[in-house]
Amino acid sequence: MKNILREIRYFLDFVFASIKIALTGDRRYYVWLASLVMLVVLGTYAYIYQLMHGLIVTGMRDQVSWGLYISNFTFFVGVAASAVLIVAPLYLYNYREFEYIVTFGEFLAVAALIIALTNVLADVGRVERLWHMFPLIGTPNWPDSMLVWDVLVLNGYLFLNLLIPGYKLYKKYIGLEPSNWIKFFIFLSIPWAISIHTVTAFIYAGLSARPYWNTALMAPRFIASAFTSGPAIMILVLLVIRKYTFYRKYISEKAIETLAQITLIAMLVNLFLLLSELYTVFYSATIHQVSLKYLFFGLEHNGKVYAALKPIAWLSLFMQITSVALLLYPKTRRNFKTLAAACSLNAIGIWLEKGMGLVVPGFVPTPIGEIWEYMPSFMEWVIVAGTVAWGFLVYTLMLKVAKTIEAGLARHPKAGKE
Amino acid sequence: MISRREFLKSGIKLAIILTLPVSSAKSEKYVYVIDASRCIGCGSCVRACREENNVPEGKYRTWVERYVVYMNEGIEEVYVESPEGGEHGFEDLDFSDKEVLRAYFVPKLCMHCEKPPCVKVCPVNATWLTDDGFVLIDEDHCIGCKYCIQACPYGARYFHEEKHVVDKCTWCYHRVKRGMKPACVHVCPTGARIFGKIDDKEIEERLRDPTIKILKPELNTRPKVFYQKIGWEVW
Repeated sequence: MKNILREIRYFLDFVFASIKIALTGDRRYYVWLASLVMLVVLGTYAYIYQLMHGLIVTGMRDQVSWGLYISNFTFFVGVAASAVLIVAPLYLYNYREFEYIVTFGEFLAVAALIIALTNVLADVGRVERLWHMFPLIGTPNWPDSMLVWDVLVLNGYLFLNLLIPGYKLYKKYIGLEPSNWIKFFIFLSIPWAISIHTVTAFIYAGLSARPYWNTALMAPRFIASAFTSGPAIMILVLLVIRKYTFYRKYISEKAIETLAQITLIAMLVNLFLLLSELYTVFYSATIHQVSLKYLFFGLEHNGKVYAALKPIAWLSLFMQITSVALLLYPKTRRNFKTLAAACSLNAIGIWLEKGMGLVVPGFVPTPIGEIWEYMPSFMEWVIVAGTVAWGFLVYTLMLKVAKTIEAGLARHPKAGKE
Repeated sequence: MISRREFLKSGIKLAIILTLPVSSAKSEKYVYVIDASRCIGCGSCVRACREENNVPEGKYRTWVERYVVYMNEGIEEVYVESPEGGEHGFEDLDFSDKEVLRAYFVPKLCMHCEKPPCVKVCPVNATWLTDDGFVLIDEDHCIGCKYCIQACPYGARYFHEEKHVVDKCTWCYHRVKRGMKPACVHVCPTGARIFGKIDDKEIEERLRDPTIKILKPELNTRPKVFYQKIGWEVW
């Protein structure tokens, strides 16, 4: 009994100390936080406007009824899944270079999941009824509906990625080694990461009504593109941390080099899978090639040209190939300036491909042959910016706490004494 | 929490169901047959549906498409249109410089599939297949995720912008349960739309027509709207 009370007291101390750490920093830190908060406020305002007027304020219509929100959702689920690329080498292969950056990965997963889930909230028409999807209290269509699976695996993954680093930080804070039971959850999180993106791909791949999505390559492509864009974002974060914070000495160049190579290999696999898809669709040249034709070349229908996604598709391809070139050549891969450029091109390229490039052509043409072009409305952009800012805000606060404790700069006053 | 009264009621119902003998062989499934050769594209059905079901402007539970197939450099070319869902009829088309092979109207609506992909994907069981073969939506339960719109191969579902949920044709379930025909069938001036139980004499006769078609049969959704006198180009 006494032990439990002490444990609770320590834990509360840990929580209060974390809040204090998260809210203290230099001026640059406050400016960064304030700009994120401002975006979140703007996004919330836009979201309330959307709640009042309905989804009609978005660019989505019946012909294209998933748009920017679901594009973002898909991309950020991938980013979340890629945390496994830091967890697995460290815990399965004991790759020590990742020891001090593993929380960057785990908390990136948390932030990315927050972004993904808030984008889903923005997309549904009746957000107050979302509980209908939950087990026990709602009426989930399980195991038939992939959306129910997705809710389960995403929330499970969110839980795992809060529990594992949270527990380790708490133990470090009170000066103890983590118990062995946490290893069970660490190993569980590895296949779980693959599952979240597989299920997200299955949401699309299972629809026979949409030939563009109805391909067995969907899940492998999702994993490949996630495993290149995730580490790319990771590298960008690490480069910023190295440049601006006290934590620079814990991030080795070797760790970044390893991540860069992972980014490169996954991107090559991703491009190979894209090539396979393009070949199969265009060589067989069935009527189902229309969607891919729309994406890359535009369509002409009854004398009108529809090609809104054409620039996006080619830009994305150009960015991906350029990033491969920069990452292949050791000199540009090891130079942090060109590495940062390669990673930015990579992440934006995948965001375009897996976002609008994946979601929108699935609707063009519609099952009854209509051709209708979607463009996100201003409101959608503001809401999406708000969700991304919200994710980065949470990420910043969590990292601040994690890195301060990991560097031994914050400890419980009684740490190691009892 | 269910009340005692409710509980007793369902108990009695269950007892009756368990003691009843297996019901008669007569099928309770409904089907819908469309004879495209009879459709004149007047749009009465679309207007009647809007009246009957309070369908919002710009949305359609049923609509009419016009197909014109003509020769173009030695190969069949297909022209399809559906201006405002055919609600106000169709304008004259000028195909005088082309060799028209065939032209006809195709009324469309929810197919009430026996294996509805929309029902399968719904995360909250807000849409379901009834025992008599209707695919319905509970508008008080739908969360508006639009996954069913993506899953429907026939474009039958739309998003109701005021109710913030998905909506579609019910084959006028409320009318059929009162012994009436769906509104679109009722108003059709040429008898192009035929509705009834699967073993009704007229339905049975039409289903014996070896040229009868369903749309997108390769998807194995088993639609219960059957088409007569349409070409390969309708899908």
